[in-house]
Amino acid sequence: MANPMQQFEIERIGAPIIVAGQDLSFTNSALWMLLAMLTVAAFLFIGTARPQLVPGRAQAAVEYMYEFITDMVRENVGREGLRYAPLIFALFVFVLACNLLGMVPFVHSFTPTSHIAVTLGLATIVFVLVLVVGFARHGLHFFSLFLPEGTPLFVLPLVAVIEFLSFLSRPFTLAIRLFANMTAGHVLLKVVGGFVVTLGSIEALPYVFGLVPLSVNVALTALELLIALVQAYVFALLTSIYLNDAVNLH
Amino acid sequence: MPQFDTSTFIPQLFWLSLIFGVLYFLVVRPTLPKVGRVIDERETRVKGDLDAAEAAKGAADAVRLAYDEGMAAARKTAQAEVATARAAAAKAAEARMAALAAELDGRTDAAMATLATARADARAALAATAADLTADAVRRLAGIDVTAADVDAALAEGVRHG
Repeated sequence: MANPMQQFEIERIGAPIIVAGQDLSFTNSALWMLLAMLTVAAFLFIGTARPQLVPGRAQAAVEYMYEFITDMVRENVGREGLRYAPLIFALFVFVLACNLLGMVPFVHSFTPTSHIAVTLGLATIVFVLVLVVGFARHGLHFFSLFLPEGTPLFVLPLVAVIEFLSFLSRPFTLAIRLFANMTAGHVLLKVVGGFVVTLGSIEALPYVFGLVPLSVNVALTALELLIALVQAYVFALLTSIYLNDAVNLH
Repeated sequence: MPQFDTSTFIPQLFWLSLIFGVLYFLVVRPTLPKVGRVIDERETRVKGDLDAAEAAKGAADAVRLAYDEGMAAARKTAQAEVATARAAAAKAAEARMAALAAELDGRTDAAMATLATARADARAALAATAADLTADAVRRLAGIDVTAADVDAALAEGVRHG
């Protein structure tokens, strides 16, 4: 049985690129991020090529996704948050495209979002955005985020420490949630896929027992597609909730 | 797990920042505002159309109201005219009826008068004729030559003794 971790192996594609002693070679991870970006670009460019009053399919799809994100931002942050909607939109579509392209079978697909480095990078963008927006809008007053209103004075130091730590842990929870979901899903698919081979190769009755894990895998694939969408949504939703703290201070 | 191989972190982050940067600055930033503009434009257009429809409906309502009012006024005028005409006609008919009745009364009276005269004449003529006939009958039956005056006298006698 193939190692279920093998699918996460990062492999160099083409010649090694070494800049200042650092290996920056093009890899399968970079390839699938690039494919995700190109998919999103095709989706957006086709959908906005000839904007019409009565939208066609492609335009309607782009508009639907745009309104999905802007509605979410408006709901969670308010009207001022709409300035950051393009970034949240970009995060959402990029994570979604990476997650979904990782589910494509037979093409040695790779899920960049199953790597903590990538998810942590994306979470860092969110964290930096929250810090920049928070300090730009409120200055040092932004620290009042750690002092929830109406807290009794004697627990205030404790609450402030907890709030501060939870604030600092945000990029990690954001990154680990996405990475863990994608990794776990793909491992599960591979493990159950391995069962198909193992049980299907019982010599006394070939193939028959393989049907059970196979049907499980079909169901799991549907579940993973759902998780791919939900995790992209959760990432964007949490981004807008964190952004709300920066814009509105609770 | 390959995920925790820290030697892959920097290349991954390098490609992520490059690709996500391209995605954000060269794909999403130029295209997404277009989507927002189209949606806004559509909203304005739909709102404008709705407003125009509302205005048109208002105008139509006003026209209909004016029409209803005009109809009501015209109906009222017509009814008044009909009532006046009816009253005038009734009055005229009454006058004609009265005139006719008066004329008929006059003609009846005249006819009655003529009738009374005729009756009196007839009665007078009848008496004269009866006297003549009687005198003639007496002459032929009795051979007595009497005159009508005699018959009258005898009749008067007879009537007195009756």
